[in-house]
Amino acid sequence: MTDALVDARALRKDYGQQPVLRGIDLRIATGELLGLIGPNGAGKSTLLRCLIGLVQPSAGQLSLFGLDPRDAALAIRRHTSYLPGETGVYRHLTGRQFLEFALGFYPGRNRDLERRLLEEFQLPLRDRVRNYSAGMKQKLALVATLVPDVELYLLDEPDRMLDASVRFFLRGVLRELRAADKTILLSSHHLSEVETLADRLSFLLDGRLVPEAHVAAARARLRRRPRIRLKPGRELPPGGHIVRTESDGVLVVETDGDPMRWLQSASGDAIASVEIGVERLEDLYQLLLAGGDGAAP
Amino acid sequence: MIWRKTWRELFAIAIAYVLILEALAVPVLLLWPDIYADLQRSSLFQNLGVDFLKRIADAVSTSDEDIAYRNWCATMLLFRSCNLVATAAAVLVGTGLFARERENGTFEFLLARPVSRASLLWQKVWPSALVVTTPIFVVNASAIPWSWTLDLDLPRWELFLASLHAAVFALAFLLLTTWVSIVLRVQAHVAAVVGAFAVVQIGIYMTQRIRRFSLFRLVDFDWYGPVLAGNTPAWQMFDPFRSHGYTTYLSLACAALYLLCLRSLRRSEP
Repeated sequence: MTDALVDARALRKDYGQQPVLRGIDLRIATGELLGLIGPNGAGKSTLLRCLIGLVQPSAGQLSLFGLDPRDAALAIRRHTSYLPGETGVYRHLTGRQFLEFALGFYPGRNRDLERRLLEEFQLPLRDRVRNYSAGMKQKLALVATLVPDVELYLLDEPDRMLDASVRFFLRGVLRELRAADKTILLSSHHLSEVETLADRLSFLLDGRLVPEAHVAAARARLRRRPRIRLKPGRELPPGGHIVRTESDGVLVVETDGDPMRWLQSASGDAIASVEIGVERLEDLYQLLLAGGDGAAP
Repeated sequence: MIWRKTWRELFAIAIAYVLILEALAVPVLLLWPDIYADLQRSSLFQNLGVDFLKRIADAVSTSDEDIAYRNWCATMLLFRSCNLVATAAAVLVGTGLFARERENGTFEFLLARPVSRASLLWQKVWPSALVVTTPIFVVNASAIPWSWTLDLDLPRWELFLASLHAAVFALAFLLLTTWVSIVLRVQAHVAAVVGAFAVVQIGIYMTQRIRRFSLFRLVDFDWYGPVLAGNTPAWQMFDPFRSHGYTTYLSLACAALYLLCLRSLRRSEP
């Protein structure tokens, strides 16, 4: 037993012979906002489903609020609100009916937040959900998930199908919940957005959480990769090699030594433009997936 | 909450189901005098090759019109309408209970609510059971006033017992379909599996040598006829030791299917 609100140790989940979670160790303290980052198929949704008790782990220990979801899933769900990765809204109900249905399961609701969310989202609550766009359905699901007054929010890609202004608003709401000492586990593809929000980031790759030191090393390495555009007819100066050529002709380069020194020596006659410090999530996954200490510089 | 949503989803089906049952019942009741007269005159039905049809023909053409009319109602209201329409309604209602949630992507949302799987199942099954069974009682009861227009009467208690038996059979089909709906993920697959099962059962029933192995043997004219005629008292319907006890067997099957549904739902993952 620890002080952590969520405590997973050596958590495994196999579907037949296929391992999806390969020994997850994860602790989330009360009032913490943890960002869970990972590519599709990494096991993020399975991990969230294990936490809420929808999926039984194959091995390992798990506790939320000091309770094991295998024995006390119902008690855990009374204090937890979960947004599934797939938007689950009843198409035959009106927006209002759906919200009453979804919120009716919880004893308390945050009325002020409900009012502000509905005001911001401008959902036609009298219309049937079948007439909603995908983004509107996601907003409706968000209202149903964020309004219950619970201690833990498990959000599986809440920013899916939302435009930039709504994502910005959502970040503010999550900050408010965080300030109110609510615990949030936020799974997302948007590294930069989660990073500005989360107290801590965890990378889930191929069913494993990547150690923070590896992530830090990989990100440092990524930030040192110049993204350059060569002048016409020029070749890449010695001391650098191309990692990737992007569709717009930009070359992502890794240098043998200090990239700044390499740029200073090469930029005059070969390089037309340069950008440095850019992190692409795909590149980060690639580096981390290179395995073991492959992420280290 | 879940039961209200289930009820909202099933309300239109319930109305259509009552209307269909009633629409099937009224003509056969009101045409009875003509049919009975024809049966008295014609020897066609006496020469039927299929034994159970011959037994029905004998029963509905007997010289005591009261008994003949009860047998007619047992044949048309219970053996035909209930087996056909109530079974179809049970399959239609049961198919959507869980497979539709999966198809619409709402199954995970529902399972994640703070409600136990047992409560979830119960709140889905009881409105469905009411929708499937209540019309059987309502429509069969409506046969009593319709019969008055013909100067005939139907025994209320026997009609209730026969309707109860038909309702339990329909409930068993509903629970069977519900179980398949939990196990399979696509509504069309659920309907195909349960529909195929029903067709096979009907096929077995129509084959004289193996008829006794058909589930529809429990709800055929040979069962309803004596019940409605007052020859099968209630204890014989329920007592499996001293009599057939078919209603008890069906009730036990319902309980077993309900537990099977619960077990499968507890194990099911999004």
